[in-house]
Amino acid sequence: MARNRTYILYGLALVGFVLLPQLISVKYYIHLSVLALIWVIAAQGQNLIQGYTGYVSIVQAGFMGIGAYSTALMGMHFDLPVWLSIIIAPFVTAFFALLTGYPSLRVKGHYFAIVTLAFNMVIFIVLMNFHQLTHGEAGITGIPKPGGKDALFNWRDRETYYYFVLIIAALMTGLAALIVRSRIGQILVAIRQNEDLVGAVGIAAWKYKLFAFVTSAMFAGLAGAIYAHYQSFINPEIFGIAQSLDAILAVIIGGSGTIAGPIIGAFFVVFLPEYLRFADSFRLILYGLVLVLATIFMPRGIAGIARDLMEKRRGRT
Amino acid sequence: MKLTAMTAALALMAGAAWAEEKTLDIGVSDALTGGGAVYGLPQTNAVKLAAKEINASGGIKVGDDVYMLNVIAYDDKANPTEASNAVRKLIDRDGVKYILGFCCSGATGAVASFIEFEDAVMLVGNAAERSITTREIPNLTRTRPPADYTGAAAGTFVAEKGHKRVAVLGALDVGFYASYVDAFEKELEKAGGEIVSREAFGLKDRDMSPQLTKIRGQEPDAILVVGYVEPAAFIYRQAVELGIDVPRYGFTSGSEEQFTRVATSEQMEGVWDLRPTELTLLSASENGKAYHANYTEEFGIAPSPSSPYSYDQTYALKDAIEAAGTVEDTEAVAAALRDIAVPDEVVMQYLPVDEKMFDQNGQAYTSNGAFQWQSGNWVFVQDLPSDAAAYSAFLSTLDD
Repeated sequence: MARNRTYILYGLALVGFVLLPQLISVKYYIHLSVLALIWVIAAQGQNLIQGYTGYVSIVQAGFMGIGAYSTALMGMHFDLPVWLSIIIAPFVTAFFALLTGYPSLRVKGHYFAIVTLAFNMVIFIVLMNFHQLTHGEAGITGIPKPGGKDALFNWRDRETYYYFVLIIAALMTGLAALIVRSRIGQILVAIRQNEDLVGAVGIAAWKYKLFAFVTSAMFAGLAGAIYAHYQSFINPEIFGIAQSLDAILAVIIGGSGTIAGPIIGAFFVVFLPEYLRFADSFRLILYGLVLVLATIFMPRGIAGIARDLMEKRRGRT
Repeated sequence: MKLTAMTAALALMAGAAWAEEKTLDIGVSDALTGGGAVYGLPQTNAVKLAAKEINASGGIKVGDDVYMLNVIAYDDKANPTEASNAVRKLIDRDGVKYILGFCCSGATGAVASFIEFEDAVMLVGNAAERSITTREIPNLTRTRPPADYTGAAAGTFVAEKGHKRVAVLGALDVGFYASYVDAFEKELEKAGGEIVSREAFGLKDRDMSPQLTKIRGQEPDAILVVGYVEPAAFIYRQAVELGIDVPRYGFTSGSEEQFTRVATSEQMEGVWDLRPTELTLLSASENGKAYHANYTEEFGIAPSPSSPYSYDQTYALKDAIEAAGTVEDTEAVAAALRDIAVPDEVVMQYLPVDEKMFDQNGQAYTSNGAFQWQSGNWVFVQDLPSDAAAYSAFLSTLDD
């Protein structure tokens, strides 16, 4: 019964997302919604390693960078079609995640967070300094949109891109839900709750942790690739540690270890700073304050609060 | 009859008042907070000052209409995504067609990547990355010359001073600083000199003594510092503290006030800044002196040397709109921008190409100058060799 209600809620949310561009008259909000949906993909990935496995990774934006640069460079140097390079980008990211994940996951807790933070710094420095390949701080410009000249849809229209990203975000959210509901997902939750016990019953926890880490990176790589083709420009600035912290915040604010949480959190971290523009130079202070208060008073995130309210209401009736 | 006459008179008055009250919103996307704010905030203020002056002198005349300027400014934190968001907001939500500011290259590059497809005109100020004007985007112009244009002139100047071994300490992971040094090195090598060391620092670094200690051990003839004002000021200060007694050259574009927040005037004494001939009070034209006085009065602080890039943009836009005779047709205004002469009100010393302020790439060129810190002030010492026409032709050959 409860599961049916959840499905109905997700269905209604999806209908809402489909109708959204028709309800918005100012295209700027569609632009923000596209960015938020891209962040939904990255945050769903972050949720797998952080929310379900209990390992706080501070490299999600770095992996987005690998995805973004790999799709752009494959298009530039190998003339690959946009669709193909978007599909390959998560696998390139997965390769780097495998390389970094194995040593990272030998440590736990704060140490894991620090190691992944260091990896994000390394990725940032490489993107900034490997000028021949990445064009450094100047970045790569003119990254093509999907579709080409004779495309069926006008990909320069933000509404078209919105629906494209919405489909991908919905699919990736569905994939995340499938993983979580599977045996693998149950083991990930078990690792979060008591990793020693998981090892004691004969499960090789490291394999599952590595799976979560690499899958999380693939989500980020895909998000980065879609971002690159949407903005047509990338430079290292957008793949730094601050953006990785945004991915963590999206999960915490939305609701860690829930499927709805990263969706809510992604919209929160994209829209809130924009709505605070009225505060000019106090904007970042206000943003920080809101985040601190939200983390202190809503430790289970917005999804957690919503669930509590629904259960209370159900209890009354 | 009386009533009809009064109604007609009122209608006429209302019509006249309506014409006077037409407002043209212009947008500014710039770094108002964060590391880039040392350039972005003064640029934003400069646009506001220019708009105020234009309004006070009767606005922009388009046919029978007169437009008063209203400035809408958003903070882009010098971040590409933030800049895209700010510009999308200006265009989509606020209905702005003319967007000025843009102090920093990464954020500017992000907006430049899509502006061609928007019904808008983008006027870039201080951002010095060369690639911004290599794609000949028809609705984009820039007032500041690219960094390598100045770097080459600086290299020649330092070589003429007789220096053979130059150590570089710079924000070399920033593209346009690196391109300044590359062009500098090319000219230095032509005269038989060499760069003996390339040490880098981050834009947020403040302790550069490890790099300076290494440089001291290499015994260079001179050091070249390229980077934002604050870290550069720390380097000049720490070089004195470490007893490095060789000429210090730089590429920073900071004001006296910005430097003396970090280093004393004594520690700055003798430092050279090799940059476009930007605003310094002692070398300023009449326009420059008036700008300095008005800016200081308006905002209670002296303008930074690079801030007039956006002040000049505003006057260029005014002339282009008046020449095009429209505020609605952005294509016509963008075309007019490439066709106007240097406006009388500008502060910077532009070198027109084919008698036009902007070349076919949408790029303007200023002269380059050697400024030296003398007794608390940046003093203009001499012009640096600057061939705007040759560089413009070179820029046209690039397409990335």
